[in-house]
Amino acid sequence: MRIPCPYCGPRGNDEFIYLGDATVRRPDPQALGASDAFYEYVYLRDNPSGLHQELWYHGGGCRSWLVVTRNTRTHEISDVTFAAGGKL
Amino acid sequence: MVSFAGLERSTLDGLVRPGHYGRAGATGLLIEERRDLAFASVTAKRGKRFALVNAVNTAFGVALPDGPRRATRGSVTFAGTGPDQWIASADGSEAAGFANKVRARIGPFAAVSDQSDARLVLRLSGPRVCDVLAKGVPVDLHAQAFKPGDIACTVVSYINTQIDMLDDAPTYQLAAPRSMAGSFWSWLTASAAEFGYDVIAP
Repeated sequence: MRIPCPYCGPRGNDEFIYLGDATVRRPDPQALGASDAFYEYVYLRDNPSGLHQELWYHGGGCRSWLVVTRNTRTHEISDVTFAAGGKL
Repeated sequence: MVSFAGLERSTLDGLVRPGHYGRAGATGLLIEERRDLAFASVTAKRGKRFALVNAVNTAFGVALPDGPRRATRGSVTFAGTGPDQWIASADGSEAAGFANKVRARIGPFAAVSDQSDARLVLRLSGPRVCDVLAKGVPVDLHAQAFKPGDIACTVVSYINTQIDMLDDAPTYQLAAPRSMAGSFWSWLTASAAEFGYDVIAP
């Protein structure tokens, strides 16, 4: 699998480190039910068949965190953006 | 502050001697270690990118590249290694205290860190240089894809490596972490042996 890094261009996935779901958000620890929310935030992940937004770190290249939109069935990558300065 | 002046030694000392190696009667690759280069990493401070571009232009006459390319003026080069990150290098009279000079000129806009002793730097040329690099470099170095002035930070034989194309002879400059120099040398010479290679005295 090759990931088109927005800075470096297309690179093999062995240059990257995978972190996982890019859409989870740290819950408000003061909110009601925070304990359950944190349990879900830390441990529970969906396992979607199809498009998945995920974090990859380009440690072998420009050392940027990237948000990669990948189809888990085909490994087709439809979008790659920098995590910094984005919506995260 | 402790001074290490006069204690400089190459990490290849004791490992490498000038001469011809590999296939007899052929020289496919020329290897020259560069010990005279000073390096400094430059990272733009948050929100200061445009001020930094102006400051580098004023101080060094260099237009900071906004991608993986190098820009040189005189003996000073800035190479783009990542978003808002560059490696500055200098040789000749600019090399002494280079990181401090860079920090003095652009310090308000960037974090500057001396990297001079952190890198093994080799200049590679010769008729088979591309064949040698093809054995370990996962980046397309074809003349249409990688041109003089282009650089790539990538992984060669599991070692993080910066590759700069200096001219279309072609000449490449490879920089690897100093602590990995022995392993890097092992990959390079094993890859070059079938073509024959000359190690040039630094």
